[in-house]
Amino acid sequence: MMIEHTAAPREQSRGNDSKESVDWQVIAACQLGDRDAMHTLFETYKDRVYSIAMYSLGGTETMAADITQQVFVKLMTRINQFRGQSEFTTWLYRLVVNTCLDEQRKTRRFVPLADVSIPAISSQSPRAEYIRKELSLRVQAAVSQLKPKLRWPILLRYVEDLSYEEIANVLGCSKGTVASRLNRGHKALARKLHHLRDQV
Amino acid sequence: MFSKHVTKFSSAYCHDQLPPLVNKKVAAHLLACPSCHADFDEVKLGVKFARQLQLVSAPDVIWPEIAAQLQQGARRTNLTSFAKPLAIAASLLLLVGGALWLLRNTREPALISWHVARLNGTPRIGSVGFNGEAKLGVGQWLETDATSRAQVDVAAIGHVEVEPNSRVRLIESKPTEHRLELQRGRLSARISAPPKLFFVNTPSGVAEDLGCAYTLEVDDDGNSVLHVTAGWVSLQLTDRESKVPAGAACATRRGISVGTPYFEDATSSFRAALTRFDFDGTESKKPAISVVLREARPRDEITLWYLLSRVNESERGRVYDCMARLLPPPAGVTREGVIKLDQNMLEQWRQLIEGSHVPSFGESVRDVLGRARSGVARRIR
Repeated sequence: MMIEHTAAPREQSRGNDSKESVDWQVIAACQLGDRDAMHTLFETYKDRVYSIAMYSLGGTETMAADITQQVFVKLMTRINQFRGQSEFTTWLYRLVVNTCLDEQRKTRRFVPLADVSIPAISSQSPRAEYIRKELSLRVQAAVSQLKPKLRWPILLRYVEDLSYEEIANVLGCSKGTVASRLNRGHKALARKLHHLRDQV
Repeated sequence: MFSKHVTKFSSAYCHDQLPPLVNKKVAAHLLACPSCHADFDEVKLGVKFARQLQLVSAPDVIWPEIAAQLQQGARRTNLTSFAKPLAIAASLLLLVGGALWLLRNTREPALISWHVARLNGTPRIGSVGFNGEAKLGVGQWLETDATSRAQVDVAAIGHVEVEPNSRVRLIESKPTEHRLELQRGRLSARISAPPKLFFVNTPSGVAEDLGCAYTLEVDDDGNSVLHVTAGWVSLQLTDRESKVPAGAACATRRGISVGTPYFEDATSSFRAALTRFDFDGTESKKPAISVVLREARPRDEITLWYLLSRVNESERGRVYDCMARLLPPPAGVTREGVIKLDQNMLEQWRQLIEGSHVPSFGESVRDVLGRARSGVARRIR
């Protein structure tokens, strides 16, 4: 008898040669001031950046939009500094993490679980869809309550689909530390949301 | 390496991030070690929850602002300057809010609570009165006196107004079930959600929302009356269920059963006789049925439809004859079949009644004529 892994198949979006070369071409064009290339780069990563900002700051759409804007303005104005010593996404997510942490320090933002606004879900939604959405919102609220050093590995793993090594590169720590923080983060989520275990 | 436990590998094992040989050894250890296995199960549950995180679409308004900033250099955008005063205000508020947050979040698991607003007087949660807004946590009682009223937000799906002299408790709030208990008093609910997500327990039955607005009253003896103003509500107790449409009401009696739904504009004789049929002794049922059948209007077909399954077989023919006079059954529905409670025939006739007098409640007659609803029964005190 084997204990099943729970690893879901990961999309092979990284390591796809044609996507890598598109990214480099786009980056090179951005470095030359090509606004269309900058827009392409924005369109490629905007949802990921916005999602990270939303989850890390407790679900405030205005703040998430503001963070996303800050990240891309910084990205575009500093893109000439990117020399390719690391993966572009490592550089990007490091920027996202640091921008979110800066914002949190400035606002000293804590969001109690009960105060995370849960937008009204249409009564026209099928029941299963409604339940799925509400569960997602509960998980989002619980994640935003985690300590930052436990929250970031969770977000980078599940929102950005990064490997342990990539997460370690973004956060500037070892793979072992990433594993340890994910362990603690997973357990914290399990304890916070234990009463919803029948929904997953 | 594995003479010690393997808990530190739990997440990496879940994510298939371990080298093959280590992976194999962890798997073998988990099979043999209950404590590591329990730790792994907890991590695995956390992984399942974390997998619910989804990408959120960024609004379209962001790029034009970025483009404008890039155009003009390092000037901050309207979005940022709009957020800045908000951030400053948030900082000031968080001097107070931060302490409350720490207090609220020192215990596990995370508390679920509903927002409550005072409408009149000084409602109480537990023994604490409040004048503005408060939170009603799972297990807590909300009480109103003769002069107070409150409004409770039911998660994100609607709200409940708690009338004077009422006692209400939050029992459960999760994606598949939001449940209150009304011990006594009166509440009015307006719910906008898919059906079967909001429930109210009373001492004599459970009201299950099917997409609706309604008022529910419980007296000091634990008996209740449901009045539906929009949509449908199901009232349940053990193996009996009554689905109540808009404009209709239904009573329950503690220790007896759920009554039969009736439209509130039925004659007073009709309603009084129906009450005697539902809740008085066996000897009262036959004369009560006679009054009901005599007073019934075409609009009362829904009541008669329920009575088909609630009268003795010897009386069923009389109910059928009355129904057939008021609204002839559809083709294929026979007197003999209805008397035998043929479910397909009953279902066909129900649909005809719906089309004539009431909005659809869209479920099979099998659900209404009901087997024991064990889940509901467990919830009843």
